[in-house]
Amino acid sequence: MSGGPEGGAGADRAPVQVTATGVAGGGPTRADLVGTALLAVLGLAAAVYGWRYGFLVDGQVGAGFLPVATGGFIAVASTAEIVRMGLQRRATRADDHVRAPVGDERAAAVPTGQAAPDEELDVFGRTAAQRGRAIAVVFGLLGAALLLVPLIGLLLSLSLAVLVLVLVVERKGPVAAVASAAACLAFGWLVFVQVLGAPLPSGALGLV
Amino acid sequence: MLDNLALGVATAVSPENLLWCFIGVALGTVIGMLPGLGSATGVALLLPVTLALEPVTALIMLAGIYYGCQYGASISSILISTPGDSSSVVLTLDGYQMARNGRAGAALAVSALSSFIAAIITIVGLMLLAAPIADLALRFGPPETLAVILLGLSTIVSFAGDNLLRGITMAAVGLLLSTVGIASGFTDARFTFGSLNLLSGLDFIAVLIGLFAIGEVLHQIHRGGEAPIRARFKDLVITRDDVRRMIPASLRGTGLGFALGVLPGAGATLATFMSYGLEGRVGKHRAELGTGAVEGVAAPEASNNAAANASFIPTLSLGIPGSGTTAVLLGAFVVFGLQPGPLLFEQQPALVWGLLVSFVIGNFMLLVLNLPLAPVFAQALRVPYSYLYPFILFISLLGAFAIGNNTFSLWVAFTAGVLGYFMKRFDFPAAPLVLGLVLGPLLERSLVQTSALGRGDLMIIFERPISAAFTVAAILAILAPVVLAAVRRRRAPGRARQSTPTA
Repeated sequence: MSGGPEGGAGADRAPVQVTATGVAGGGPTRADLVGTALLAVLGLAAAVYGWRYGFLVDGQVGAGFLPVATGGFIAVASTAEIVRMGLQRRATRADDHVRAPVGDERAAAVPTGQAAPDEELDVFGRTAAQRGRAIAVVFGLLGAALLLVPLIGLLLSLSLAVLVLVLVVERKGPVAAVASAAACLAFGWLVFVQVLGAPLPSGALGLV
Repeated sequence: MLDNLALGVATAVSPENLLWCFIGVALGTVIGMLPGLGSATGVALLLPVTLALEPVTALIMLAGIYYGCQYGASISSILISTPGDSSSVVLTLDGYQMARNGRAGAALAVSALSSFIAAIITIVGLMLLAAPIADLALRFGPPETLAVILLGLSTIVSFAGDNLLRGITMAAVGLLLSTVGIASGFTDARFTFGSLNLLSGLDFIAVLIGLFAIGEVLHQIHRGGEAPIRARFKDLVITRDDVRRMIPASLRGTGLGFALGVLPGAGATLATFMSYGLEGRVGKHRAELGTGAVEGVAAPEASNNAAANASFIPTLSLGIPGSGTTAVLLGAFVVFGLQPGPLLFEQQPALVWGLLVSFVIGNFMLLVLNLPLAPVFAQALRVPYSYLYPFILFISLLGAFAIGNNTFSLWVAFTAGVLGYFMKRFDFPAAPLVLGLVLGPLLERSLVQTSALGRGDLMIIFERPISAAFTVAAILAILAPVVLAAVRRRRAPGRARQSTPTA
């Protein structure tokens, strides 16, 4: 679903496409297998746990019917998917083994002296490793912002998160960061508090 | 009926009613654009503002908010892949892709025009068929509802991408998540692990904000961010070819949306998913779906608007809300001392017909507002992503809080965001999960009722003609692509063998 064609002026510096399954010509990755195995475990656990609510009660659909049915289906379907991926992986390895003397096509596709695709810079000039770190920082920042809500309130904590995101993750200047945070704060206060009257939590400090 | 129509026109075109209709649709558009604040919340929030108005004026304004929200939600889905509510999820598939292809303005124009087409057709239908259709809808018992939901779920084949099994599995995950909280028709609390917050279940709006808005932002960062889109003005304007492709899809979407919107509870979300599924089957350009096809915007958008209008049929003629928003509007009727039902058309003709005519006027206002503004709204994509995505995260989380005014929704949205990121990264489709989550409670309720009706025998679904037809259609919808793919695979080696000697 993702990864549509790029347009506009930035198309000549299109972002790097990285998908777990998308290694050219390759089979499923370990992450794919682990993710599907986690789903299988989740389904199995839900089915077992759901059984306690009663699959059938007096011969009729019970509260546990849907959890058991869906959990069981997830477990079976995920197991089937793991088997399919395992077979595909084996076939890919056998294929690679046959092709080995010819050389790695991906390596051959990268001209000498250029960085590997994953090392290409994105539109912000970041490498793949830096983008990975940026995601971890965004996760952490959002989590920290939510933890701060009981103390400084929702509007302030989210505005603070915007400030740090623009300043630290996007490496913009302090003026741009403060302006972005202030614009968000003003928009949130005006629309959600003043116009819509949403009771946003102001936290223990009760500032906004 | 013509007398009633003339009375309705006279009521709706009074300066005061026109002004409040405009205020309603404008406010609705803004509210709809904000994630989490769907039409039901918008109408509920602004209901107190209307208490000083005449009942007909107040209802015209509140209805304006309702369909204004539909337009607004489409704008945020198309531009930033952040659906305002569940009925706009499908728009993120092709609408967002059109925007990324530099055709945001055209996508917004297609959305506005197809909504308008649907609105006009369904309003005429509403005027002519309200009473007989409401009567027909009442014949839908639990087995028929169950069968319609199964047919809705079968549209997963259109969203699953290359891996159907994975798509169906994600729908099952959505259904499983919908079972969290107090069971429908039971007193058991399931999968709550002692948490009071989980008793009322996972709010699907918070989940979809996380999956789509936060998940999409994180995925963009992972991919390396999107360059600002500086499309040429002519790319922002709808073309003749767009219109040619839009009209049949809009008409199909309108028909489906009208039929499903009439059924109490079935709702606009199911209609949008099913109309997208229908385009995947019968659309001339079905191969382009998911890559920014005009039909992928027109059909769900038309069905969404048609379903929203059709949901007024059971509301006005039976007093049964056809959707969450019409349930709030039903409350507004009661606040003004009106009792929706069969007698409403006889006792309050000026109000009912004035309201119906105002739908036409309001939708026309929305078209006039949205069509020229489409290229202007599309300029939002010129903002560098470094500044755009912190703002998306900011309003998404504010919207998640505003759903139920509790901080637990924030954590649900955050967790769903993390999940959404990994799902996008590892190609697990999110749309089937949302479909499962939205339809889950409805599915379970009809399942329990059907089971009770058949004294434990669910096979009664095949004993009633309507439910049997829908169920068979659902089974065929799932199995046909699998069987056809297997047949094609079997034929392919034969063809390959035949073609090898000539190669």
